[in-house]
Amino acid sequence: MSYAYLFKYIIIGDTGVGKSCLLLQFTDKRFQPVHDLTIGVEFGARMITIDSKQIKLQIWDTAGQEAFRSITRSYYRGAAGALLVYDITRRETFNHLTTWLDDARQHSNSNMVIMLIGNKSDLESRREVKKEEGEAFAREHGLVFMETSAKTAANVEEAFINTAKEIYEKIQEGVFDINNEANGIKIGPQHSPTNPSLPGAGGSGGSQGSACC
Amino acid sequence: MQEMFRSRSWFGGGWGRPKNPHSLEHLKYLYNVLSRNQTVSEHNRGLLVETLRSIAEILIWGDQNDSSVFDFFLEKNMLSFFLRIMRQRSGGSNYVCVQLLQTLNILFENIRNETSLYYLLSNNHVNSIIVHKFDFSDEEVMAYYISFLKTLSLKLNAHTIHFFYNEHTNDFPLYTEAIKFFNHPESMVRIAVRTLTLNVYKVEDSSMLAFIRDRTAAPYFSNIVWFIGKHIQELDNCVRNDADHQSQNRLSDLVAEHLDHLHYLNDILCLNITDLNHVLTDHLLHKLLIPLYICSLATSRRKSSIPEGVNQAVAKILSKSSSGSSDSPRLQDPTAGKVSCVVALFLLSQVFLILSHSPLVHTLAWIILKTDRSIFEKGASKLLEHFENEKKDLEDSLCDRTSSKESTSSKENLLDEPKNITDEEKEKLAKVPPSDNLGSERPFLETVYTALDCSENDYAVLFALSLLYAMANNRGVSSDIIEQVLKPKKSISSKSSTKEVKYSYNTFLVDKLLAIILLACQPSCRIRLVTLELTLKILLQLVICDGKNILSDAHQHSLETAKSQSMALLRNFYKSEEIFLDMFEHEYCDMSKGPLNVEWLCMDSAILLPPTGTPMTGIDFVKRLPCGESEKARRAIRLFFLMRNSLLTLSGEVENQLPLTNPQSCVQIDHALDLSIARYNSDLIACTVLYKDGTKMRRFLVIDIMQLILVEPDSKRLGWGVAKLVGFLQDIEVTGDKDDSRCLHITIHRPISGATTNRVPLLSAKFLFDDNIRCMAAKQRLTKGRIKARQKKMQHIARLLEIPGQSGPPSPAFTGQGLYGSRITGRSLRENRPLFGPSRVPGFAAPKRESSPGVIHKADEFRRHRDSDSPTRISKKDSTNPCQSTLSTKKESRSRDGSSSRTRSREGSPRMPRPRSEEIPMELMKKVPNSEITPKINILPRPQTPRVEPEPTAANFTPPKLENGLVPVISEETSFIGEQKSEKDIEGLDNV
Repeated sequence: MSYAYLFKYIIIGDTGVGKSCLLLQFTDKRFQPVHDLTIGVEFGARMITIDSKQIKLQIWDTAGQEAFRSITRSYYRGAAGALLVYDITRRETFNHLTTWLDDARQHSNSNMVIMLIGNKSDLESRREVKKEEGEAFAREHGLVFMETSAKTAANVEEAFINTAKEIYEKIQEGVFDINNEANGIKIGPQHSPTNPSLPGAGGSGGSQGSACC
Repeated sequence: MQEMFRSRSWFGGGWGRPKNPHSLEHLKYLYNVLSRNQTVSEHNRGLLVETLRSIAEILIWGDQNDSSVFDFFLEKNMLSFFLRIMRQRSGGSNYVCVQLLQTLNILFENIRNETSLYYLLSNNHVNSIIVHKFDFSDEEVMAYYISFLKTLSLKLNAHTIHFFYNEHTNDFPLYTEAIKFFNHPESMVRIAVRTLTLNVYKVEDSSMLAFIRDRTAAPYFSNIVWFIGKHIQELDNCVRNDADHQSQNRLSDLVAEHLDHLHYLNDILCLNITDLNHVLTDHLLHKLLIPLYICSLATSRRKSSIPEGVNQAVAKILSKSSSGSSDSPRLQDPTAGKVSCVVALFLLSQVFLILSHSPLVHTLAWIILKTDRSIFEKGASKLLEHFENEKKDLEDSLCDRTSSKESTSSKENLLDEPKNITDEEKEKLAKVPPSDNLGSERPFLETVYTALDCSENDYAVLFALSLLYAMANNRGVSSDIIEQVLKPKKSISSKSSTKEVKYSYNTFLVDKLLAIILLACQPSCRIRLVTLELTLKILLQLVICDGKNILSDAHQHSLETAKSQSMALLRNFYKSEEIFLDMFEHEYCDMSKGPLNVEWLCMDSAILLPPTGTPMTGIDFVKRLPCGESEKARRAIRLFFLMRNSLLTLSGEVENQLPLTNPQSCVQIDHALDLSIARYNSDLIACTVLYKDGTKMRRFLVIDIMQLILVEPDSKRLGWGVAKLVGFLQDIEVTGDKDDSRCLHITIHRPISGATTNRVPLLSAKFLFDDNIRCMAAKQRLTKGRIKARQKKMQHIARLLEIPGQSGPPSPAFTGQGLYGSRITGRSLRENRPLFGPSRVPGFAAPKRESSPGVIHKADEFRRHRDSDSPTRISKKDSTNPCQSTLSTKKESRSRDGSSSRTRSREGSPRMPRPRSEEIPMELMKKVPNSEITPKINILPRPQTPRVEPEPTAANFTPPKLENGLVPVISEETSFIGEQKSEKDIEGLDNV
């Protein structure tokens, strides 16, 4: 399946904040939210459209690899976007954001787009972190902020797509060196600047595109 | 694309699909679908994908809710369907394979029930899937496949390992298949492979680890080593061919990649698997670090004498490596196996900063520091051999060594300098080049020393310093080889009856470092700030032992000369212009963010390019040369801070003069202030603050020494106010209002701070006063307050820089303005003069009495003189209750250079308020009894009228708590006694 750009994302945040669920919810929304089923995955890809261009998002969950410094380091460096996730029902996951952010800023390239996600917004009754606090943190650190629910799928689409939009804008501004794949951005194999609308959006593309569950 | 699945239209009712997607019935239905569609075709692949996806969902649901689901899956051996599907090479099979791999990912990622996991793994289907040759040219398939392997590796433990590693067939496909992709062009794939290998290594299973070591370690590690070698040659090329900073991005990637490699190797080594570490260390030393990194050191400078030796050495190493392990790729071109000296130094610094595996770093350090030329010329391979022999000898001698230092001195005689020799001898010693001193040259160490020569620029110097620092601070390098070279040496001689501790240090290196420092303090030199900072850092490590400064007098003198030069340099930039003060404070703030982190420094590829002066490169200011006058001033300021800081550290002192503003001494928002005391009372002006958004607030404006404070009367205590807004006078802008003579426009800018880059003003509002006279007065006070606040700081700087007329002991000669004026000359005359004007403004005299005396020395002297001449002022002053004036005296917490305070401040915590020592000589102070006052000295304000608060006698030591819970600082006068809290002091006073 051809695309204009491929953006690599990573998802970071404490364990249990629902990173892999967000990932699965976004890359394969056919997994219908059921209240007694928690299901996630560590990797996924999906095609989206921005500015009538096909953009493929590849999302890598970094969970379980924190023990190894080399791995964390490399992941950050290879990503164009990062979703920094906390759980609105667990204050400590919010408190750890600074550490995550410091790590990300230290290892990533300076252009990486970071989006702050307050997950589990469906659990309003157990909320420990106010939405305003998340907003304030994001404002203070120059992040985009959103509250999501992997369970109800609320805002999940938006979170990933808005991040992609911001990366896309940065590409348009010439901030990203798109010829350098180490930035987590790859130009599609059939990318031609004169013809951004790529073939394959129709029949064959349809069946192929959704394979990226 | 997603729509067609969302609609689920193709699962018409005809298939007998159960309504509940989470039920055993549904899985049975899906089983039927799979059975009927065993051949993948254009027509059914969509259906198959959806079926595989649903299987993942229902299995996880079953795992969490209904065990019969999983039983059915295993009973029907549904994994075999998976295998059958993936083995078909038909159109669009990749598309189905991707879903299949994702289903497996979901399965292994989400299964909680351990038994289910074991069953899933037990029939070897998973291993068959692992070894299946997918179409890896499809990046999607590749990504899902490697994720699948990585997910599996996260499930590895002492139990599950047996499902993947087969002891009998000596087969471990999960690992062996994964490492095939270790150099995959896609970075995420490479990362996944590294993660997987680390997850495998950390499983404690000896037979599996034996398999890794025997069957895979040599080829895998030699491949890694080979690729790192190839990679650094690319890096070297990039450095050589890019003098114009054109390919910074590329270079930064190459450097980051090298760091990734080192961190990966370190992660492996840190798992402490003895056998594996042995193989890895061996490969690294023999095939990379010695032949490429270290041998590159010896080539650069002394071309005339080295080449044959090195070429032979490298050739030998290479021939050894190619014969040694048959599986490894070879370094193709032996003569190309060198990188430039700067790159080698840089890379070795990274090695020592990241790796800490002792057998590796210790050997490397030994080779760099101890190898002599004769050994080296025999060939690089001999280096290690020699090291092994030496190590044995050394261990033997270490056993012999008990108290006698002599036994080892023959081996470690490098620049041994006992502390008790004369200066002449020291100089003589220092002049002797190391080679003569040692009798045999140390080619690698010599290269490092030679690189410290900064006659041209400091390009290589920085890397040589980094390497020295990294070696000295690597915990894997044992102290016996760095002692005396990179660390001070302590020896206890028992020649005389009393034990004598002798300290010695590497005088040759210190000479080199001092040369850099002295040069850095010259105007328009080509030493970057970062180089100086690192030089000083290493110097301090070299010459501070047991908390003592062991620097020889001659060296100490050089360092002090350098400091004086740095001060002289900064004096050239000392200007009355406002920008200088702002710059000074900004630089201090910037520098206070933290000491130099050498590991971070060596992560920055920008330093690999020759030093540049242009900010256009985006290189940090400290890592390049200054550009233009303003940056030269910034550099001079930094230089001064660095030198000052180092000398303070060396003498064991704590900085008590900087920053210029001590936040502890400032009034903070919500502090309660006693408005009845002279300091605040005299300047109290009522006003209404009109904010831009329309809000209005009635406030009292207090103009303190350094601050502007807006207070609101305290509802709980009469005569008190609560600070609602605080700004520094130095940061204000005041303008009148054209239309309303009772109005002022006041903007308070934020103080420069390292934490925030927020440039929005702290306050920007219109102030409405009761009448135009009060408005005028306020304007005048604010304007003058601003000037005075800045002058105070400028004078403080002037004293730090020892600008004539700014310092010196209080002198009785200062009896009047005329005399004072005649004593000062030049620039300082011009700048000091305005100080005398504002002090006559009504309302300023009283607060000034309580001002930070340390900040303005002269003014204080003048004022003290005047105060003592005017009894009325004293009585006014004395009416102040010291307990109440506590807040006001926070300002005084930092004493300046009074003779009495200097010694005290060292021992005290820097946060503790210090006495206004310069006002009263120690001798006089001691004569002051607790509750009596010598009018001439005028230090202890004593309430003359009864107060509500208790008398400030013993209570001085325990000041009352303010309402907001703030523990107030004791007033300046009483703090002489109370602040120190030392029993001695109090006793001393009692005795008087």
